[in-house]
Amino acid sequence: MTNHDLDLAIVAGWRTPFCKAGGALAGASAADLATHVFREVLDRTGIDPKAIDEVILGCAGPDAAEANVARVAALRSGLPKEIPAVTVMRNCASGMEALLAAEQRLRAGDGEVFLVGGAESMSNFPLLMGKRLVKFFTGLQKARSVTQRLMALSKFRVSSMKPRVAVVEGLTDPITGLMMGNTAENVARLFGIDRAAMDAFSLQSHQRAEAAIAANRFAVEIAPFASQPHFAAMISSDDGVRQGQTMEALAKLRPVFDKNAGDVTVGNACQLTDGAVGMLCMSLARAKALGLQPLAVIRGHARVGLSPEFMGLGPVHATPRALQQAGIQFSDLDLVEINEAFAAQVLGCQKAFASDDYCHRELGLSEAIGELDSRKLNVNGGAIALGHPIAASGARLPLTLAHELRRQKKRFGLASLCIGGGQGQALILEAV
Amino acid sequence: MNITETRPEAATTGMLHLPLQVNARGFAVLRLGRPEESVVTFTKERLLALDRALQQLASTTGLRGVVITGPGAAMFCAGADIGLIHSIQTVAEGRDAAVLGRSIFERCQKLAVPVAAAIEGPCVGGGCELALFCDVRVASDHPSTQIGLPETKLGIVPGFGGTQNMTRLVGLPTALDLILNGKLLRPYPARKKGLVDRIAPSSKLLDIAFEELERLVAAGKKAPTRTLRGQAYWFSKTPLRALAVNAARKALNKGQARFYPAPKQALELCIKAITVSPEQGFAAEAQALGEMIATPVSKALTQLFFLTERSKRLGKSDGAKDCKRALIVGGGVMGAGIAGQLANKGIATRLCDLSGEALAKAKARLQQDLSRRVSRKQLQKHEAQAIQDRLAVASEWGGLANVDLWLEAVVEDLGVKRKLMAQAVAAGLPANAIVATNTSSLPVDAMADAVPHPERVVGIHFFNPPEKMPLIEVIRGKRTSDAAVATACRLATRLGKFPIVVGDSPGFLVNRCLSPYLNEAARLLVEGNDPEFLDRVILDFGMPMGPCRLLDEIGFDVATKVSEVMQGAFAERMQPCALFSAMVAAKALGKKTGGGIYGKDGKGVGPGRKVLETVREQRGVPKREASRSEVVQRLVYPLVDEAYRCLDDGVVAAEQDLDLGLVMGIGFPPFLGGITGYAKSEGLKTIVGALDELARTSDPRFRPSDGLRRRAVN
Repeated sequence: MTNHDLDLAIVAGWRTPFCKAGGALAGASAADLATHVFREVLDRTGIDPKAIDEVILGCAGPDAAEANVARVAALRSGLPKEIPAVTVMRNCASGMEALLAAEQRLRAGDGEVFLVGGAESMSNFPLLMGKRLVKFFTGLQKARSVTQRLMALSKFRVSSMKPRVAVVEGLTDPITGLMMGNTAENVARLFGIDRAAMDAFSLQSHQRAEAAIAANRFAVEIAPFASQPHFAAMISSDDGVRQGQTMEALAKLRPVFDKNAGDVTVGNACQLTDGAVGMLCMSLARAKALGLQPLAVIRGHARVGLSPEFMGLGPVHATPRALQQAGIQFSDLDLVEINEAFAAQVLGCQKAFASDDYCHRELGLSEAIGELDSRKLNVNGGAIALGHPIAASGARLPLTLAHELRRQKKRFGLASLCIGGGQGQALILEAV
Repeated sequence: MNITETRPEAATTGMLHLPLQVNARGFAVLRLGRPEESVVTFTKERLLALDRALQQLASTTGLRGVVITGPGAAMFCAGADIGLIHSIQTVAEGRDAAVLGRSIFERCQKLAVPVAAAIEGPCVGGGCELALFCDVRVASDHPSTQIGLPETKLGIVPGFGGTQNMTRLVGLPTALDLILNGKLLRPYPARKKGLVDRIAPSSKLLDIAFEELERLVAAGKKAPTRTLRGQAYWFSKTPLRALAVNAARKALNKGQARFYPAPKQALELCIKAITVSPEQGFAAEAQALGEMIATPVSKALTQLFFLTERSKRLGKSDGAKDCKRALIVGGGVMGAGIAGQLANKGIATRLCDLSGEALAKAKARLQQDLSRRVSRKQLQKHEAQAIQDRLAVASEWGGLANVDLWLEAVVEDLGVKRKLMAQAVAAGLPANAIVATNTSSLPVDAMADAVPHPERVVGIHFFNPPEKMPLIEVIRGKRTSDAAVATACRLATRLGKFPIVVGDSPGFLVNRCLSPYLNEAARLLVEGNDPEFLDRVILDFGMPMGPCRLLDEIGFDVATKVSEVMQGAFAERMQPCALFSAMVAAKALGKKTGGGIYGKDGKGVGPGRKVLETVREQRGVPKREASRSEVVQRLVYPLVDEAYRCLDDGVVAAEQDLDLGLVMGIGFPPFLGGITGYAKSEGLKTIVGALDELARTSDPRFRPSDGLRRRAVN
């Protein structure tokens, strides 16, 4: 067996359409979405389900009722009970983490065929009871006598009804107390990226996504989803793209994170979205043996940490190591997907890649990693237009990248995400 | 404690002995069958064996209690042997059988020690009546457990004390609901209704029964004290009873229920249970059983039961396989309905259609059904979800490597069907997968040509709506293998439907027989008869729906298409009535287009009446109203003739197929004993004579077949 036979091949993959939170997919839980994409992968590839060694699914905010979403979705999609399933969580990179976990199991001799993916229902991120309300209910439960109960009841305050909003708390860094948008402001200030540049980047994301949809380019990766719970319609396309978005419209938006002096608006940040991705991955050797044509093969990967305050630059920190593992240069990359958490953060990455100073100071490199040509970057738009269903994005980027490499008949691609809490993750794909 | 095991001579003498054992605590366990018996029914022999066992227990010293249970897992007792029921011909014979059975069961009450029924699996009919004579009932939570008195479905009343004991135990409203409708209860509802006292996990069934006995022994009681409470009390023991009785009586005189005497008898018996002494009640019950068991209705219904058992065996023959993964092509009304049925029964199903709207509708239609069942507590939420998960809908077929059932339900176009079948094979459908068509009018053989290994091509003809219609015509083409036919039949049985095997001939059985019937109804309409009148006559005949309403349900477009095919095959006998094309031209197709002869929701008059008037005027013959008997002769007799033609043409193999097919397929009145039973009781000579007369006076299309004529002579 050659070394490459142990490379993990993405054989096939499909995703749900990505739809705005509270919208078309809101009736479906993360497990509902994952069940759908898993079933599609099984049905469409016609693989013998027993051949699958493990199911690995990224999910950043599983519902309490389905904490191990992977297992729930695996069984619901009809996989045999003998196949184990794990849910992995590395915030925004959870979906990519699933892919890398599969790759590492393969190299460790711990399985050869994997059903992987990412699923997120941001619509269903819960409202949580505040601590005071929890205390009130526990007090009430413990109270036995009538007087005790009255005492307990008297402790009720309307103000304690204020819920904790999981989606807000999840997007706040507990180490620095910064919301994710604030870290994007930090990156913007570090590199002097202004509002106009952010808005221009966002406009470009929408325009590219609009063009990709018009050219039916996502059709190969979307498996239409019957909207739940009433199955009123088949949802077959992403709905985050704003047709005919303009700079003027973007300029009108107020900053949301730093209301005083900030530049990050909802217009130049990613959208809250629901979606799921499922992919069938296996060793290149097995793919060959089964006569399956892989979409792409993983040639290198990296996970790194950095300051939580500048988490948006994670891709810059992760890329050199991934390139090194793949044995290629930055200039060998034909296409690059960097998750668009914020326009400021992607632009910051572009600046940092090209900065001798940053690369030397932060990464200990002798010179800049290189110029990242905008024509190679997120050619079909990104999360600003399509949305960022947290764990699903990490799986969508490699899927979209693999399809685009094949479509353009190109060879190497980089997919990378910044991760809340100060991490970066990257992988290098080669179309084979 | 002088009993150890069944006596060894049992095997040699040939006399049936029920396994009986007494444990160290002084509890006897009496099993209703030997461990190897998967189905237990009360034959006369088994009743006598039970009698001996109970007598033996009565003389056993040191006994503290008795548990009566089934032979093993998942079976208590499925009631009296249907063959026995069917064989009893006279009132006296029936009454004696009832008295014998009840007096044996009564021994449970006469024993000095408490008797518990430990129930797992079917505990129905006579089995349930035995349990009702026990002092306490424990039911296993096993999914096979079902308790009830379905005797009225066989045209008889419970005869072993069931009507009396049930009513006294659960009160009049519940007893009426269970007995009159023949409804079976799962363990939890049964406990809620008071029919069982306790539910046990399957593995602890006997232990829990012993526990219940211990409790009674400790209290020094033979049986728990029971009183009716709440609704059960108010509607049984007070004048409010009249409300329950009147409601039930009303329901029994409506619709098809009016043709069945047994539920009415059962109603009177249930009232007796709370108004007269037990002795009088039991005596009345035995008499009623005797009367009912001798009726032709009961004989017809037991015969129908045998036909359904015969149908179920079709799926058990050699080569029958279980389908696990299905691909259904065509998401219309039929495809969607079929796909939902498959998902329902545990088959991973993929429904494919190019229209997203159709796909979403298919999921929504299944969801509607599931939600209803969840709200009625017939299904738990997670079970409903699993069913819904099993139905994937998409425009892409995907890989076919794991598919073992491929079925098309697309437009009735031979070219399209052939193309799709070829496509499926090219896409990698395994050679051992079934290739099925839901065609209602096209030849299966012409499709099989398109497929390598044509022996796997088979017709599986569902009727609309697939959720409700109990019949499936399995169409055997010239080259269809026995294994493919058996697999299709097995699938039908798994879906809870009854398969009949039919030959590959136009209209198969049901549509072919229906065709002259519907045509003739249209002619009667055009001649000047009111649709309401025609429908009423046929409802009074016993069919579940009149022909005019049926035309609206089927749709005039489909009726036209089918009758064109029929005319092509059978010439003038099946010439479509002019009304069909006129209705299609006026787009008054029936229910699907906002009304045909009747209004959109089946009520009032529909747009088709105007069309009918025009057709009548164009015909230019004065209106003529037919008598009731003429309507029956012109509608039903040709149906009989066509059925026998099907038999003679080899479309079906036996008269039984005609009976089952037409009862399940068009609702031919079950109480008439199937179409051949009806024909014989009406007199084949009479039918041939009437048809000849019609042929002579009105139109040669009525001329009966030579086959029917030959039979009439013999």
